[in-house]
Amino acid sequence: MLRRTFLMLTTSLAMACTVSQANAACSPDYSGVTLTVASQTGPYIASALKLGADEWTKKTCGKVNVVEFPWSELYPKIVTSLTGSDATFDLVSFAPAWLPDFVSFLSEMPKEMQSGKDWDDVEPAYRERLMVWEGKIYSQSMDGDVHTYTYRTDLFSDPKEKDAFKAKYGYDLAPPKTWKQYLDIAEFFQRPDKGLWGTAEAFRRGGQQFWFFFSHAAAYTNNPNYPGAMFFDPETMDAQINNPGWVKGLEEYIRASKLGPPNALNFSFGEVNAAVAGGQVAESIGWGDTGVIAADPKQSKISGKVGSAILPGSDEIWNAKTKKWDKFASVLPTPFMAFGGWQIAVPKVGKNQQAAWDFVKTLTSPEVSGQAAITGGTGVNPYRKSHTANLQLWSKNFSPEEAKEYLGAQADSINAKNVALDMRLPGYFSYTEVVEIELGKALAGQTTPQAALDAVAKEWNRLTDEFGRAKQLAAYRAAMGLPPKN
Amino acid sequence: MMRNDPIKHVFIWPAVLVVLAISIFPLIYSFTTSFLSYRLIPPIPPRVVWLGNYVSLLQEPRFWNAIFTTTMIAFIAVGLQYVIGFGVALALNARIPGERLFRVALLLPMLLAPVAVALVARMIFNPTMGPLNQLLSMFGLANLPFLTNGHWALACIIAVEIWQWTPFIILMMLAGLQTLPEDVYEAAELENASAWQQFWGITFPMMLPISAAVVFIRLIESYKIMDTVFVMTGGGPGVDTETLTLFAYQEGFKKFNLGYTSALSFLFLIAITIIGVTYLALLRPHLEKRR
Repeated sequence: MLRRTFLMLTTSLAMACTVSQANAACSPDYSGVTLTVASQTGPYIASALKLGADEWTKKTCGKVNVVEFPWSELYPKIVTSLTGSDATFDLVSFAPAWLPDFVSFLSEMPKEMQSGKDWDDVEPAYRERLMVWEGKIYSQSMDGDVHTYTYRTDLFSDPKEKDAFKAKYGYDLAPPKTWKQYLDIAEFFQRPDKGLWGTAEAFRRGGQQFWFFFSHAAAYTNNPNYPGAMFFDPETMDAQINNPGWVKGLEEYIRASKLGPPNALNFSFGEVNAAVAGGQVAESIGWGDTGVIAADPKQSKISGKVGSAILPGSDEIWNAKTKKWDKFASVLPTPFMAFGGWQIAVPKVGKNQQAAWDFVKTLTSPEVSGQAAITGGTGVNPYRKSHTANLQLWSKNFSPEEAKEYLGAQADSINAKNVALDMRLPGYFSYTEVVEIELGKALAGQTTPQAALDAVAKEWNRLTDEFGRAKQLAAYRAAMGLPPKN
Repeated sequence: MMRNDPIKHVFIWPAVLVVLAISIFPLIYSFTTSFLSYRLIPPIPPRVVWLGNYVSLLQEPRFWNAIFTTTMIAFIAVGLQYVIGFGVALALNARIPGERLFRVALLLPMLLAPVAVALVARMIFNPTMGPLNQLLSMFGLANLPFLTNGHWALACIIAVEIWQWTPFIILMMLAGLQTLPEDVYEAAELENASAWQQFWGITFPMMLPISAAVVFIRLIESYKIMDTVFVMTGGGPGVDTETLTLFAYQEGFKKFNLGYTSALSFLFLIAITIIGVTYLALLRPHLEKRR
C-alpha cells in the first residue's frame, strides 16, 4: 500500500513537472486560444500571416486560423461581420483606406504597444500618419506600400542602347526623373518583334488599376504649397480629380497602356510582375513585390539585372487654390503611397483581444516582419527602418548592387518630403468605383480624359453631399494629416 | 380524416409560419427599405425618400446599360441554346452510333459549377497567356482582345453561357422527343412527307409546349446571370458587361447602399415579370391551338 502511494505521488510529481515545463515554454500562455484572422487569399499577405502565426504558436502555444477571401470579397466580408457585431474574426487585415469605414468597430491599440524600440523602428510615414485616425491608433501596419520604379539594368547599361537613346532623345538613358522621360524610355524599348515592350502597369478594372493612375497624377497634383489638396480641396471638399494636373496624369497613363505588351489593358498587378520577371518589359512601376520577384532566380528570367528607383516626378504642379501651375526650381519627386500597406486591427467585439494584440506584436516584430519582407510572395514590403537598414538580410535574393538600389528606392520614397498619401475616406468604395468605370472608358478610347474625369468629379461631389460634406471634410483632413477646420 | 378536421391546422400553420418568416418577411422588409435612403457604409441613419431611389435608378444610365446587357446575354444565349439544343436532341433521338456516350459527354458542362466554368474560360480567353490567342499566333493571326474589348467580352460571356446551358435544353427536348407518338410519323411517311416536312408539320408543333417551358426557364435563369460575369470580366471593361445582378451586388455589397439596392431588386423583379408575362401572352395563341 505504501509502495503504491509512493508510486502515485512520484507519478503526480513527474506529471506536474512536465505540465509546468510545457507552460513555461508558453510565454505568455495562450494555450487553448484560437484566433481567427480575416485575410485576402494567399499567398500575398495570407502567407505572411501564417508565418507570424507559426512564430506566435511556438511562443504562446495559442493557435491562429487564417481565413482567406478573394480581394474583391474581403471588404464586404469584414464590413458584414463588423456591422453585424458578430465575433467571427479576432483580427482583420485590411487596406488603410478602409480604416475610416471600420474605425468605430475597432479597439484601440494598447498603450504599452505604442512606445519602445519596436515602435520607434516603424517608419514615421506609417506610425505617425497611416496608423493614426483622429489622434488615436486603431491598427498596426504589417506591410509597407509605396510605388517605386523598376528597370532592367542590362538594357540600361548596354552602350549600344545608351548611344541610340541619346541620339534619339538628346539625353542619357537612366532611371527617369520625369514622367515624360519614363514614356520616352518605354517608347524606345517598344520592340514587339523582339518580344520586348516598353512598360507594364495595371490597367484592369478590379486589378489595382486606379493606384497606378494615382501614381502618375500625384506628380502633378500633390502640391507642397497647398498640402492635402490632391484629391479634394481641404477647405471646401470640392473634388479635384478633374483639374489639369489629373488630366495630364491620365493622358500619360493612357499613353503608357499603349507602350505595354499586347492586351496590357487586361493586366492586374500580378500580370505586371509576370511581365517584369519574364523579361518582357524594360521598365515598370508598382509595389516593392516587383523588385523581390524579379530578383528571385526561381521566379525570374532577369535575376541579377534588376534596378530600382524612386518614381518620376515633375517640376510643375497644379495648385488647387490658385488654379494655376506652380513652377519649381527642380523636379520634385512625389512618390505615391499607393494602398499604403496592409494593416491589422482587433475588432471591439473580439473575445480574445489581449491575445489578438499579442499576435499583432509578434507578427509585426522586426524579426518576423523582416523575414516576411525578404520572402518573395508574402506581399510584405519594408515598413520598418530595420527592414531597409540591414543589407545582409536581403543578400538572399538580391546582389549587393540590386539590394542597395532596391532598399534605397524604398527608403527614399517613404521618407520623401513630398510623399503623396493615398485617399482614406468613409465610403471609399463608392468613390473608387466610379474612378474604375471611367478609367475603363478612357483607356478603351470611349471617352476623352477630361470627360472621364469630369464624370468622376461630378459623382465624387454628389457622394460627398450625400454622405455629409462637413463629416467627409473632417475625415479627409484627418486622413491627410491636416488639423480640424474651425 | 374529415376535411374540416381541426388537426389540419397543426400541420398547415407551422409551414405557413416558416414560409412567412423566411420568404415573405424579407420581401416586405426589402420593399419598405426600397423607400429609404439607407447606407451601412458610411453609416447614415435611414431617411424616407419615398420613390426617390426608383426615380434615381430610372434616371441612371448605368441601370439602363445593365438592362440592355442582361437582355442581350439572355436573348442571344437562350436563342442559340434552343437552336443548338434542339438540333442535338433530334440527333440523339435518331439513335446515332455512340449516342449513349454523346448523351453523357454533352451533359457534363451542365453539371459543373458556373464559377469553375468561368475560371476556366477566363484562362482560355486570357489575352496574353490563353491558349486561344496562342493558337491564333501560331497561324500568324493577330491576338484578339477577348476580355478587354466590350463587344468581344460580351460575346465570350454568351459563348460560355451557351456551352454550359445547352445541355439542359438537350436533356429536356430529348425527354420530350421520346414521348412523341410513333404512329403520327408512320402516317406521315405513308403520305411521302419529307424529313423537313415532318419536322415543321409534326415535331415542332408537338414540341411547342415543352419548348415554351424550357425557353421560359432558361430566359429567367439567364436574367439572373452573375457568377460567370463576375469571374470573367467583373462587369468590365468599364461597365460594358455589367448585368443587373452584378450592378445590384456592387451597390449592395460593395457600397452597402441598402435602400438603392432594394429598389433595384424590385425593378429587376418588375422587369422579369413583364418579360415573362409578355412571353407567355405571345405564345398563348399557339399553345391553345395545341390543346
